[in-house]
Amino acid sequence: MSDTPTDRDDTDTATENADSESFFERYTTRALVAGVTVAAVIALLLAGMLFPDSLAGTLSDALTSRNTLASALRLSVPIAFAALGGIFAEKSGVINIGLEGLLIISAFSAIYVADITGGVWIGFAGGVVASTLLAALFAVVTIGFRADQIIAGLAVWLIALGLAPFASQVIYGSPNTPTVATTNSITVPVLADLPFFGALFSASPSVYMLFAAVFGSWYVFERTAFGRWIRASGENPKALDTAGVSVTRVRYAAVLISGVLAGMGGAALSLDLGQFTGNGPTMVNGKGFIAIVAYLFGNYNPVGAFFSTMLFAGLDAVQTVLQLQGIGIPRQLIRITPFVVVIIVLALVGRTQLPEAAGEHYETED
Amino acid sequence: MSAADRARDALSRLVDASATERILISTAALVLSILIGAVLVLVAGRMTTCTAGEAVYYLGMGFCYDPVVVFDRLFLGALGDPFSGSWSPNGQFAVTLRETTLLIFTGLSVALAFRAGIFNIGTQGQMVVGALATALGVLWASSLVSGALGTVVLIPFGLLVGAVFGGLYGAVPGLLKAYADANEVITTIMLNFIATGVALYLVSGIFKDPESAANQTVPLPEFAQFPALLFGGRQDFSIVALAFGLLAIAALYYVLEHTAFGYDVRTSGVQPEAAEYGGVDAKRTVVASLTLSGALGGIAGAMYVMMVLGTFQTGIPSYGFDGITVSILAGNNPLGVGIAALLFGVLKSGTTVVQFATDVPPQLVGVLRGLIILFVAMPEFFRLMARGLPGTGSKSKAVATDGGTAGDRGGETDE
Amino acid sequence: MATAVHLDGITKRFPGVVANDDVDLEVERGTVHALLGENGAGKTTLMNVLYGLYEPTSGEVRLGGEPHVFGSPRDAIDAGIGMIHQHFMLVDPMTVTENITLGNEPRKWGGIAIDRTEAREAVVELADRYGFDIDPDARIEDVSVGEQQRVEILKALYRGADTLILDEPTAVLTPQEVDELFDVLDELTDQGKTIIFITHKLGEAMRAADEISVLRDGKKVGTVDADATTQEELAELMVGREVLLDVDHGTAETGAVVAAVSDVVVENDRGVRAVNDVSFEVRGGEVFGIAGVDGNGQSELVEAVTGLRNPDAGEIRFGGEDVTTASRRQRIDAGMAYVPEDRQERGLVMEFDLVENGLLGSQHGDELVSNGRIDWSKTRGHAEAIIDEYDVRPPDADSDAESLSGGNQQKFIVGREFERDPELVVASHPTRGVDVGSIEFIHERLLELRQQGVAILLVSSKLEEVQGLSDRLAVVYEGEFIDVVDPDETTEEELGLLMAGERPGDDDGEGGTKATGSESADETERDKPADPTDAADGERA
Repeated sequence: MSDTPTDRDDTDTATENADSESFFERYTTRALVAGVTVAAVIALLLAGMLFPDSLAGTLSDALTSRNTLASALRLSVPIAFAALGGIFAEKSGVINIGLEGLLIISAFSAIYVADITGGVWIGFAGGVVASTLLAALFAVVTIGFRADQIIAGLAVWLIALGLAPFASQVIYGSPNTPTVATTNSITVPVLADLPFFGALFSASPSVYMLFAAVFGSWYVFERTAFGRWIRASGENPKALDTAGVSVTRVRYAAVLISGVLAGMGGAALSLDLGQFTGNGPTMVNGKGFIAIVAYLFGNYNPVGAFFSTMLFAGLDAVQTVLQLQGIGIPRQLIRITPFVVVIIVLALVGRTQLPEAAGEHYETED
Repeated sequence: MSAADRARDALSRLVDASATERILISTAALVLSILIGAVLVLVAGRMTTCTAGEAVYYLGMGFCYDPVVVFDRLFLGALGDPFSGSWSPNGQFAVTLRETTLLIFTGLSVALAFRAGIFNIGTQGQMVVGALATALGVLWASSLVSGALGTVVLIPFGLLVGAVFGGLYGAVPGLLKAYADANEVITTIMLNFIATGVALYLVSGIFKDPESAANQTVPLPEFAQFPALLFGGRQDFSIVALAFGLLAIAALYYVLEHTAFGYDVRTSGVQPEAAEYGGVDAKRTVVASLTLSGALGGIAGAMYVMMVLGTFQTGIPSYGFDGITVSILAGNNPLGVGIAALLFGVLKSGTTVVQFATDVPPQLVGVLRGLIILFVAMPEFFRLMARGLPGTGSKSKAVATDGGTAGDRGGETDE
Repeated sequence: MATAVHLDGITKRFPGVVANDDVDLEVERGTVHALLGENGAGKTTLMNVLYGLYEPTSGEVRLGGEPHVFGSPRDAIDAGIGMIHQHFMLVDPMTVTENITLGNEPRKWGGIAIDRTEAREAVVELADRYGFDIDPDARIEDVSVGEQQRVEILKALYRGADTLILDEPTAVLTPQEVDELFDVLDELTDQGKTIIFITHKLGEAMRAADEISVLRDGKKVGTVDADATTQEELAELMVGREVLLDVDHGTAETGAVVAAVSDVVVENDRGVRAVNDVSFEVRGGEVFGIAGVDGNGQSELVEAVTGLRNPDAGEIRFGGEDVTTASRRQRIDAGMAYVPEDRQERGLVMEFDLVENGLLGSQHGDELVSNGRIDWSKTRGHAEAIIDEYDVRPPDADSDAESLSGGNQQKFIVGREFERDPELVVASHPTRGVDVGSIEFIHERLLELRQQGVAILLVSSKLEEVQGLSDRLAVVYEGEFIDVVDPDETTEEELGLLMAGERPGDDDGEGGTKATGSESADETERDKPADPTDAADGERA
């Protein structure tokens, strides 16, 4: 382009238009899935309005119910936080399959710290610290000692899966902790009274923190140099290295951030209920893995990951609402929808999604 | 380019991860994990309360839990206390062998895939599918035959059903990887959740045993289960099943080391470009090895149903994930899988002994499992410890999701 | 004119090899200096020394007269050196602007945000100054390879580079893009930048450079003025006057056609046509040689013949069958032996010992394997026979392939493939990196096979090798056969010209500006006039 920009606003808009065009060209499969979903929902709502007594009517009631949105938001919090964390790590080139473990360790630690200090927010901080420490171990092992990322991530999951119930058993004599006080929800006056969307304005603090985290992550990736370095470190570490930025440092930072974010998710999960339950797969129960699905489906975009989390959580929430109304879509089958969706998406798009250098150890040339 | 060639040669000579080194690293990982576990027990012992009389004292500090007792119980208890004079094969030892048997199959399942350069995290799901299929298939077939003949017919039939369904379920990520280039780590994790979810749906619905409160299928008749033989029936262990396991080890070893298919698998695992040059059909090898891997996982499920539970119940223990640990610890070598499976059998079985004998929570073993994987995954750490020097920057292959090293490719000499 | 870069007695040793041996190089400011040599001559190593990637074993780097010691590329960048690697250091999903400013992003709001407007303006301004036509907002993955290269150049300029090193910059470009690149280089030198340009293509060195330094086996063999030299002189400098190996060529009974390639088109990994409409036949008892400078489509052609790459058009027949889409295994089974170009990636499994490597490619045959079961004692015997006969050292079948030196690895591969009892041997650079004694031995074995009626397709960039061994010799240039000649009737000088793309009968004396186009429809057409783009190049050069 030989002409210098005379009007900044114009060029900026042009850029964004170009972006969105290429977005749709590039992600046609995703666009298709999203389009089909939106169309189906609209059709359902229309059918529900026309025939309020039919199944469609009940379904659209469930969909538009304020409770559905509220519980979808609540269910989304741990998953979406973990997904944001996963985005940071994986964009930098470190596949963090141990998100599940980070959620578990922080869910327990948050309750434990809240229990001994009596402060919910101190507990929250405790959860974040525990998760960050475990993420730091993961970072040292994979970046410092060049361990295979997948195996080390698996180890992080398994360690947390053992350690949290172990500690709970030692301290409380049961894998489940006693309950602690929970936070009250924050209600924005007037807005909270809106139908449906009112749920957005009467929610627990963790929901607002999630909104902030989603925006913050988006901002980091799109607007800051650090975000750009993270992307470069995952796509072509050599390019970053030759540009004079230490790939190792960027990756350490990204993995630690993933620990912080996943820690916020885990702490929010347990503090929301006031208890940690550690039987079987613990209360986290695969949320860390769904988070991986969510960010893959959201194409490593924080906002996209948030919406795909909402989609998965929304399915679950609708299902709960329906069950209350006596219409049973088997819960087990709803639960596996995200996983089936991922497999279909992977079958259609293949591996193009992973950052180019994800999973590879990077070594500076000397 | 000869300069680069020779530089690479020199480099690779430096970092030859030999079989011996692998054994040393696995042992070191184990020892280090146990040491950390001991520290954990001590720390936990400080955090709980007990009377002064119950406490043990190290370095002038009192601890409620004694790691020596814990590990004594964990290992010796699992073996049925061989030094106590009253050892009988019928006690905890049988439980250990039972766990070992199941871990042999899941360990082999993971190892086979690893050798082909594929990380099959889906053994758990393949096991669930195999277990459910076996429970339903054998239940159906048990109405056709009965008695001793029933046992002779139904057990192989059940294993076959488990293998076929586990294999088909393993073929799914194989096909996705070969033809859609979908990452098998992600697809197999997803398929685990799907298997568990669908099994739960089926077993809580149409296939539910109406007489039971639990989500389980109608129990198999006694003759459709593995015979207890030498061991008492209480421990749900059958020496026949273990014999199958040992046979499977030998068979997989033979296949990998002595057949053209095994050669294709190993070549694809370590150097796909060379395999392609040597006429290996990469896609077919991926599908075949994941199918076989799934079949082994399915057999583990069949064993679990026909030897341990006698029915399919939701909440199959995580043998599939333990299989990953077993395989990694064994350097993905079938013979090593036998030893690692025994070790993990001891850990799993010893857990219950520890639970009875001490107040130490059984989840300790779960932590140990994670620690072992973590340490085995970072051979570089032990190399540095051994050298006592900071990093020299040599590139290592080590344990990896790219197929690992051919820890043992021997066998030529014993012809 | 001032000297911008001065390399003084640079020696770079790697364990067991001297990559650069006492090389002196002087590059004038504001000129294009080509560094010419065969693959492995030490060009890239020398430039990596200048760029701070390697520290020289001895010797000194001076920039504008000042001695510099570079610990890392960072130091070199700070001293005004930029390198454009053969594999671009670009982040594909990021935009042109993002890539150019990576690591040096202009900031605003106290550093917490990138000043995107300023970044974009800086890039636009830079592009304007050097006359680059580039869209600052396009993503790298959406722009052509030529544009990506310009982004790399801009990246170096953005970091304040005065001296630009380009490593094989034309390897990935189409002829049109090469023309554009050379325009860019002219523009840069006009504005005082200094360019060092690594290449193994004679014609390009002559077209683009002011001065040409030739490296051979790590030594500089000469620096010539591009206007005062000829392609013949350069070819001689590059290849050297090595003793022609005294091969008893003999005559062999030529048999039936074993392999036939017709109108084959093959694209390389980047989707660029690497082989353009090539046809030839190889008969039993005949060595059909393909000569040419590396990177003119030989690799892709060989891969298409051996089944590692699917041709995009045309037909390949082997033993009377159409094998165009046949698998590797089918071709091996049908009797095709193949000595691959990359022995460490393809030819050997580095972690396997020689017993196992001896089986590679035969694991589905019936010599060493029966009913899918490998007969290891036979396989061991097979490997030991190869080791013995081809003098592989150390003579230990249990040693891993990676523990062998490159030459011994090569001997083992050659042995394995020649002993396959093949109908056709495809040998790609069979003696690369092998000591002289072994070269002779491999050549003798090759001719023995020919004597036995085996068809041999030989690809080599060593002129004396293909010339000495071949019965018929094709010269390939930019994916096309320039000519097929009788090697005994053709001089080395004539071959050198053909390798530079000069078509026979095309003798109007304009040096290397001929035949850069790739649009020639028929490789057998001998009297093709120079096409218009060539003429344009000629004027500019």
